[in-house]
Amino acid sequence: MGEPHSRSSRLGGGPEPGCRPSPPSQFELFFSVGLVIWEEGAGGWSNMQCSTRRMGIITDVHRRFLQLMMTHGVLEEQDVTRLQKHCYKVHDRNATVEKLEDFINNINSVLEPLYIEVKKGVTEDDGRPIYALVNLATSSVSKMASDFAENELDLFRKALELIIDSDSGFASSTNILNLVDQLKGKKMRKKEAEQVLQKFVQNKWLIEKEGEFTLHGRAILEMGQYIRETYPDAVKMCNICHGLLIQGQSCETCGIRMHLPCVAKYFQSVSEPRCPHCNDYWPHEIPEVFNPEKEREAAGVSKANRKSLRSRQH
Amino acid sequence: MLQKTRFRGRPSTQAETERDWGHGRETRTPQGAADEVPSTSRGASGSQEAAGTRSPSARSASAAPAMELKVAELVQFLLIKDQKKIPIKRTDILKHVIGDYKDIFPDLLKLAAQRLEYVFGYKLVELEPKSNSYILINTLEPVEEDAEVRGDQGTPTTGLLMIVLGLIFMKGNTIKETEVWDFLRRLGVYPTKKHFIFGDPKKLITEDFVRQRYLEYRRIPHTDPVDYEFQWGPRTNLETTKMKVLKFVAKVHNQDPKDWPAQYCEALADEAARARPPPSVPAPSS
Ligand SMILES: [Zn+2]
Ligand SMILES: [Zn+2]
Repeated sequence: MGEPHSRSSRLGGGPEPGCRPSPPSQFELFFSVGLVIWEEGAGGWSNMQCSTRRMGIITDVHRRFLQLMMTHGVLEEQDVTRLQKHCYKVHDRNATVEKLEDFINNINSVLEPLYIEVKKGVTEDDGRPIYALVNLATSSVSKMASDFAENELDLFRKALELIIDSDSGFASSTNILNLVDQLKGKKMRKKEAEQVLQKFVQNKWLIEKEGEFTLHGRAILEMGQYIRETYPDAVKMCNICHGLLIQGQSCETCGIRMHLPCVAKYFQSVSEPRCPHCNDYWPHEIPEVFNPEKEREAAGVSKANRKSLRSRQH
Repeated sequence: MLQKTRFRGRPSTQAETERDWGHGRETRTPQGAADEVPSTSRGASGSQEAAGTRSPSARSASAAPAMELKVAELVQFLLIKDQKKIPIKRTDILKHVIGDYKDIFPDLLKLAAQRLEYVFGYKLVELEPKSNSYILINTLEPVEEDAEVRGDQGTPTTGLLMIVLGLIFMKGNTIKETEVWDFLRRLGVYPTKKHFIFGDPKKLITEDFVRQRYLEYRRIPHTDPVDYEFQWGPRTNLETTKMKVLKFVAKVHNQDPKDWPAQYCEALADEAARARPPPSVPAPSS
């Protein structure tokens, strides 16, 4: 150990080229509750809710969990579990790991007065559980939150409107890019707009599939309320869970819609699926119910694969 | 003042903080002046949102919840602003959050600070005395695995910052800009060349880190050609210590901090000074 380097290669006069310092994470915090376009539409504090639940007691385990949750913005359940274990390991090795649901409830009880919540949802395409740190309050503050310029936010809004108005829940990049001339704020070229769309994908506000964009589960969690309030006539609802629906299947006879995961659960082990509303034959392929066990096996193959920490985008 | 009855002064224990908070919630009544703080039911349950575990209800209209809102807003504002690492100016807080509540600003700020520390483990501190700008300091020690759990390598620019901070400290707390670049060039980082990780290194070091107050950057008078010098900025002294930076340098070299006796002594003195209460630390190196 401590094999002395030549004088010239010390920091006091310099390390070896290529030696990689492991940076402390203390210097960073990305609070991504952020992209909030809805300050105008959402009507100030109207989105708030409250309950009179008891406050939990939180420790550094919870605090570190929250800090890391903030840097992610959104995480799949298995990663949330991993994050939780990590935090226990750092601060309270011997404590019993709280059940994830209780752990999150506990955190939410202290977040509540701050109008922030760790919210659970599932992805619209394959029903995998995800968690996002959601800002329940919209106000002038939120405006500041944005990592995006005015024209970028307007691009998002345009994309959002196209997605909601579409039958499939997808908007093609061509259609989105055709609107760049109408954007508020600084003029944006199509090339730039393409990059901005990619930024939305990276930040998990949008998902891209073969040149078409839809909303990421994170966006649905964080903006669901806003979308319902802002586009009451355009939004679609799921006939099963009655939640906001962006993409899903629909009955060709009566037109009702269902989320894919809701379809999967509803028709699970039903040999002849029929519309829950009009009882006509359900003409679509029935997807499989999300199975975390199966998922784990598949993930086990490439454990080092970093992708597993991000929610799927394709 | 109203908040005094609901939120006492800075609580000394977490339990007390908790009680204060809990108390605030219990004082709500289901019906209130809805126009003051309108409430909206959240609809059955959001799409794909897990079945709501919370029942929506109206907020009480007493002034206290209104203040609670302000505090919440302030907390979010500080968290969001801090992500850019630029010190948060008091005037911006007043303008964007506080609005008509100017007269109770100190109380609001104190409450926000309590929540930030209790809930998130971030300490709100004034960058320098009387500077009227604030930053958040993480009270939780960074651990290496955090980066792993996050699925990234940490922020790469942090590594570069640490190198520059290390350089400054090892060179007696001030270093010429030319020396910094001489050193970084050996690592393949050039002031004029776009770097695949750091982007524009010159801008990162001489503008971003400076604006974030990690570095002080000053023109050295009477130099031809013009040269500048770097020192640690006030944020650095709040977020890290000489000992931590020395340990970082030692680790990079796979050596012991004591292998640099002068710096080690200085770092020890710095730690001792920090252990003493308030006064700002004069850097006694010579
Ligand atoms: Zn559904
Ligand atoms: Zn039907």
